[in-house]
Amino acid sequence: MITLAIILPVLLGLLSFFLKSRIVSRISLFGTSIIYLLIPVLKWYNIEWYWLPRIFLEYFQFDSVGTLFFLIMALVFAGVSVYSLFYFKENQLDAKREGIFTAEILFFTAAMSGVILASHLALLWVFVEATTLTSAVLIYFEKKKSSLEAAWKYVYICSIGIALAFVGIIILSIGSRSFGSLFFNDLYENALKINPFWLKVSFAFIFVGLGTKIGVAPLHAWLPDAHSEAPSPVSALLSGTLLNSAFLGLLRFQEIFIRADLHDFSNFFFLLTGFLSLMVSSVFMLRLKNYKRMLAYSSIENMGILFIGITLGQPGIFAAMLHTFVHSLSKTSLFLTSGNILHLFKSKKIGEVKGIINKDSRTGWLWILSVLSIAGIPPSPGFISKFLIIKAFWINGMGWLSALFFLFLIIVIYGMCSAVFQMSFGEKKPEEPMSKKLSYFAYAPQICLLIILLLTGINIPSQILDFLNSAADFLK
Amino acid sequence: MTDIIIILLGISMLYVFAVSRIEAYVKTLSFQGLLLFLLVILDIKNISWLNITFLSIETLLVKAVAIPLFLLIIIRKNEISREVEPYISQFYSLLIAMGIFIFGFAATFWSVRVGGEIKPLYFGISIVIIVSSLFLIINRKKIITHILSYMMLENGIFLLSLSVANEMPMLVNVGVLLDLFVGVYLFTIFFNKIEEMYDGSHIDILTELKD
Repeated sequence: MITLAIILPVLLGLLSFFLKSRIVSRISLFGTSIIYLLIPVLKWYNIEWYWLPRIFLEYFQFDSVGTLFFLIMALVFAGVSVYSLFYFKENQLDAKREGIFTAEILFFTAAMSGVILASHLALLWVFVEATTLTSAVLIYFEKKKSSLEAAWKYVYICSIGIALAFVGIIILSIGSRSFGSLFFNDLYENALKINPFWLKVSFAFIFVGLGTKIGVAPLHAWLPDAHSEAPSPVSALLSGTLLNSAFLGLLRFQEIFIRADLHDFSNFFFLLTGFLSLMVSSVFMLRLKNYKRMLAYSSIENMGILFIGITLGQPGIFAAMLHTFVHSLSKTSLFLTSGNILHLFKSKKIGEVKGIINKDSRTGWLWILSVLSIAGIPPSPGFISKFLIIKAFWINGMGWLSALFFLFLIIVIYGMCSAVFQMSFGEKKPEEPMSKKLSYFAYAPQICLLIILLLTGINIPSQILDFLNSAADFLK
Repeated sequence: MTDIIIILLGISMLYVFAVSRIEAYVKTLSFQGLLLFLLVILDIKNISWLNITFLSIETLLVKAVAIPLFLLIIIRKNEISREVEPYISQFYSLLIAMGIFIFGFAATFWSVRVGGEIKPLYFGISIVIIVSSLFLIINRKKIITHILSYMMLENGIFLLSLSVANEMPMLVNVGVLLDLFVGVYLFTIFFNKIEEMYDGSHIDILTELKD
């Protein structure tokens, strides 16, 4: 399993990097995405096999919450790899550049699956660092001035964040001297033996470090730049999977706090940054002029929702898990569609895009439907997750906070929808010639993702519900 | 002996606050690498020789020689010599540095009282180095100074990890090396690109993206 998830993409990536052949890189891309989709299925039927020595396998695990995050990553990655065909064609990449892009995207995905599967805190940290290195090159892929600026900010801010997270790990190892292990399972079992003082200090550092990577306010400075300047398939991967995998790291840390009975302490910080993210995104949402930056701010908002969700006990955690699923799939669909719009209008400015539906009706409708899906308009499952979070507020006796939550959500939804409707409807400029139809690869991934979301919203398939339930059981 | 080395590390941080020539920064960085190497040799005893060799190579060759040399080449090539106009002048920076030292020691005393289990001097000086590197990053404007301050941050973290090195697994050493890898590999590549594209190395030029 681990061989498939981490080592195989790296090998295939190396192959496509050095062979510089179109066929090899496409086979690598699709091979990996098919295998990634198969891995959760294999896990579902409890099929396991080991090709590697056990000492190596100790450092990896495939637990329930990891399976859910892996499934999300597999779906997003499959969508992105189909869309990449459109991206390659539209940007007329030669075989060499295509090979480089494929290699980088495969390395990036391997690093993310490492984050999801790592069972050792320090190893998780190494993989988070690896995601920064591999994705920075992808952000700078189009070699523009602005993308260089974005990549620089991304690498620099995230490296400092990750360095601080490392300080947190060292401090945790001071606190856990009595059993001297940084494996998550040992940390969970011996949570009560960890010195509470050092546990709290290490939380401060790890929270800031991984929070930078997740991009919650006030640590979000790099996020809008990186997401708006990266090529659209890469933005989708960044938003749909990278933020999640860093979030999983914090989730595992929160589990230690719950077991050590210190979750009141950590919950306070999660709630605070969660609401701060909602506030920042709702303030900025009303005055944004660039639609890719708008999507980036929406990611900050949704990460804030996840942070709030995991503080609210079992129902809140279930809602957060469901919301991770909804956010990743809808945001991928949005970013991929924004790639279509960028191709059709050659502009990232909201004001310069008018009448998408008239120009290309499929792109226009996908744009609207994806926004409705992320906004949580029924039948989107986003409605259920947000509703459950509001309900969890009342269960926890914090009903008054749900009013604030609701207010920020409304502002964000208003801001996004007004921009999206402005862009989608209206007459296109008469002097513009009709552009030729885009290829099917530019629509298929979004349609599939939206159908999955629709099915989940109308009647959750029992498999997905089981995945969600077992993931939510992880934190008790 | 180890105490003197750690105190020297703290003093080197004060020196960085006072100087404005970038080459002096680089030399201090190299000096810190050397001090860390001495510390590894003198103070780490309970781990395998393989681990000690690894740490020695990391400190002496990478931290004290390779990175500073690399940075010096870049600096001479790009003819950057002085840090112009930090946001806060040298004099006030030194006052702030003093504040950081007081904070570091206060935090250490407090931690020893509450948590125990640490070597106070290691802990205090590494907190001082970490916090003051963060302050340097905020205060200075040149990209090269940002990279240098990041390296000092790494040194502070390395010092902190040395205080628990006897229990830390090899994996953590790999982590430190990976961080150095970020430093040299990406920073210099990006730095060269920024020089090439923007024709300057001030962070004020990086303001195209904003809301």
